[in-house]
Amino acid sequence: MILVVSEHQRGTVTRATWEVLAAAQAFAGNAPIRVVVLGHENSALAGELSSAGVGEVLSAVHPALAGYTADGYVAAIQQVMTQVGPHLVLLPHSYQTRDFAPRLAARLHVAIVTDAIALEGTPEAPLITRPMFQGKLVAQVRPAQSGPALVSIQVGAFRADSLKRAAAPAPIRTIEVVLDTAEIRQRPEAPFQEAKQAVDLSQAERIVSVGRGIKTRENLAVAEALATALRAEIAASRPICDNGWLPMERQIGSSGQTVAPKLYVALGISGAIQHLVGMKGSRTIVAINKDADAPIFEVADYGIVGDLFEVAPAIVTALEKA
Amino acid sequence: MVRETLEVDVLIVGGGPAGLAAALRLSQLQTVSAASGSSGETGPMSVAVLEKAREAGAHALSGAVLDPSALRELIPDFQSRGAPVVTEVQRDRVYVLTGQHHVRLPVVPPPLRNHGNYLVSLSDLVGWLGRQVEEAGVDMFAGFAGQEVLMEAGRVVGVRTGDRGVAKSGEHKPTFEPGVDIRAKVTIFCDGVRGNLTKTLMQTLDLGAEGHPQQFAVGLKELWDVPESRVPIGTVIHTLGYPLRREEFGGGFLYGMGAGRVSVGFVAGLDYRDPLFDPHVAFNRFKQHPLISDLLRDGHLVRYGAKALPEGGWSTIPRLFSDGALIAGDAAGFLNSMRLKGIHLAMKSGMLAAETAFEAVRAGDTSARRLKAYEERVSASSIHTELYPVRNVHQAFGYGLLPGLAYAGLSLITGGKGLGELRGSAGPERMRTLAEYYGAATLAPDVPAADVPVPDRVLTFDKVTNVHYSGTAHEEDQPSHLLVNTSPCTTVCGPDYGHPCIKFCPANVYEIAHEADGTPRLQINASNCVHCKTCDIMDPYGAITWVPPEGGDGPQYKGM
Repeated sequence: MILVVSEHQRGTVTRATWEVLAAAQAFAGNAPIRVVVLGHENSALAGELSSAGVGEVLSAVHPALAGYTADGYVAAIQQVMTQVGPHLVLLPHSYQTRDFAPRLAARLHVAIVTDAIALEGTPEAPLITRPMFQGKLVAQVRPAQSGPALVSIQVGAFRADSLKRAAAPAPIRTIEVVLDTAEIRQRPEAPFQEAKQAVDLSQAERIVSVGRGIKTRENLAVAEALATALRAEIAASRPICDNGWLPMERQIGSSGQTVAPKLYVALGISGAIQHLVGMKGSRTIVAINKDADAPIFEVADYGIVGDLFEVAPAIVTALEKA
Repeated sequence: MVRETLEVDVLIVGGGPAGLAAALRLSQLQTVSAASGSSGETGPMSVAVLEKAREAGAHALSGAVLDPSALRELIPDFQSRGAPVVTEVQRDRVYVLTGQHHVRLPVVPPPLRNHGNYLVSLSDLVGWLGRQVEEAGVDMFAGFAGQEVLMEAGRVVGVRTGDRGVAKSGEHKPTFEPGVDIRAKVTIFCDGVRGNLTKTLMQTLDLGAEGHPQQFAVGLKELWDVPESRVPIGTVIHTLGYPLRREEFGGGFLYGMGAGRVSVGFVAGLDYRDPLFDPHVAFNRFKQHPLISDLLRDGHLVRYGAKALPEGGWSTIPRLFSDGALIAGDAAGFLNSMRLKGIHLAMKSGMLAAETAFEAVRAGDTSARRLKAYEERVSASSIHTELYPVRNVHQAFGYGLLPGLAYAGLSLITGGKGLGELRGSAGPERMRTLAEYYGAATLAPDVPAADVPVPDRVLTFDKVTNVHYSGTAHEEDQPSHLLVNTSPCTTVCGPDYGHPCIKFCPANVYEIAHEADGTPRLQINASNCVHCKTCDIMDPYGAITWVPPEGGDGPQYKGM
């Protein structure tokens, strides 16, 4: 039996949870799947999950679970696992999971495998694929310990829309967990978001990135035209964001975001090492720069030594013809 | 706004060699006095250390050859307690370099003889000292910078730490936390070379009035891994001459740290005349000299860093005390520029400051009159014995390399007696304008000189790449921690001096960018800053003020 630990924010089940359910479904074969939701007033969430094509929804209820705490979650999930005896526990590889799951594994003396991108074998003896060395390698690992392994699934590794929903809702069982509130050492405050992240460049498939070679803010239009033609997101190296020409959330590099799109077009970027560390994992890198000695050409798959103000519009024209 | 307040007996600002030695000495004094029962009525003394780095040692950078005298006095069993002080100096070499050649001095001058000294990573040593301090039960606040001195009626009453979570725009982010007021009966300022708090304290209370102006140098250093047999462990090489001209003070070093690890660096006096002098270019030229490039061949760069150092010596040390305050370490200028050593003096001064503060707090009198005992202790200590005879050496180099060497020799023979006082010039006072230095021929200000070698990214690197190897990280969305009055930049500083900030900064913080219409504009890349303080010292218009960025930000010098 596979137990999925669901996660919710602002009263709805997170997208990452649906992805984990899809992973469980694709992997389970004939093994039953149960999903647990932890909270205080759980009926809406449990109802939402009952459509997920699972055998049963477990609603673990306690007033102290109204807000997330690592101690509360560890104690509650431990009790649920004791009651239902899963062979495998799947969780979304979220910040919340990263906070509590290692403690849970230590408490139960079971294996934990994080950031999984594929599952093979059986729930009793899973073979788990996960990235290593910042994604440079992937490894297949097998939990060596007996007992149910905890496996967190990388966000985006499975598609939520591949989940086969059930025609009839799954039964919902309430589990009254027993928690000693004095044992919960954290006191959750109201959740807040530090900064509005309008774009998530790490999810972009194509990125057109601009550097100093763009010279003026007005010239950004050249890069934007190319981005539109390629259906790409626009990003930049540090000086551009530092000047306020693009918002900081579009900055790539050691002090910005790390991205690995399928296509990365670097326009007028010299390729300081601080920028390279943020994009060198891209599948295909195209560099356009006037300076043939620019270090960007050392990582580029395709390099064009030339004036970006001539080259970029020419690519746009060619794309429009195609 | 509600600010938290914390009351302690002694506050130490800066967790470097001086500050941590002070903290440890205070804890030792308490143990002794508790054992003798003399602290019964007053209770244990509370001590706190503020450190701007995320952890002790992360911002500590030096060569470094350690004279272990002060460490041995503070922690006699430092070796059995696992101090990272193991590599004894095996051989000293001093070379005079010319463009392509080198001459080895047949006799190593006595101040440069390092028998009994150790090659250390200062960052690792300070990290270790930090753990000793924490184990002793002292409150160590790492990741908190002292932002301003709290004064009441001319008396120092503590320090305010920096706010966190302020956006570039000045608005408070949701993570905003106001700084904390730490109030103390005695504050010991150990905020390092050109410490931002010591600087304001010296200005406010005119502590430098009687001494000569402090003089500085900037040291740039890289760690390299080279084939293991190349540089035997315990090798110490110092160089004079090339690439510096006779008018410039400084020199290079290369130390064999063992297992193929090499510490290579260059120190340049921050009292040069040529406004276009670039210490980073000098460092690259030094590495390209055959003596050095042969040793680094087939190796690779591991880390980079830069830090200013106080070179002025005894006669530039300011008044070390005021009501409620003491100054120790590099902040006060305790460095022997002739022996190229300051760690032991910093530690010793921290210990003496701790002893003074301890007695004053116990006596219930932390006035300047009482704290003056610190200055008396320093004058009666090994610090005075070591620094007084060589008090004019750096100043003598102001007259050029050869007069400087002659004077240094004379100081050694006479013990400094009867040599009178030489007054040095502070920072940029000696810097000439482009017209004065290069004659009437007008140079395009921000264009690099034609003979500056292009870094090959194997042996030599550009500043931006080097910064990457310093591990420097700053939250981007915060106000610039370099407060720059940009009005002289393009009006006078560019035409007259050719924007020396873009040259003297070893981390590419300052750049001249051009607007669409070609107008030059100073661009400040504050997040590149490696906290060396050179700009605060060397800017000819005094237009740059260095203040700490958000606590925890900055370089990561582990192993340096």
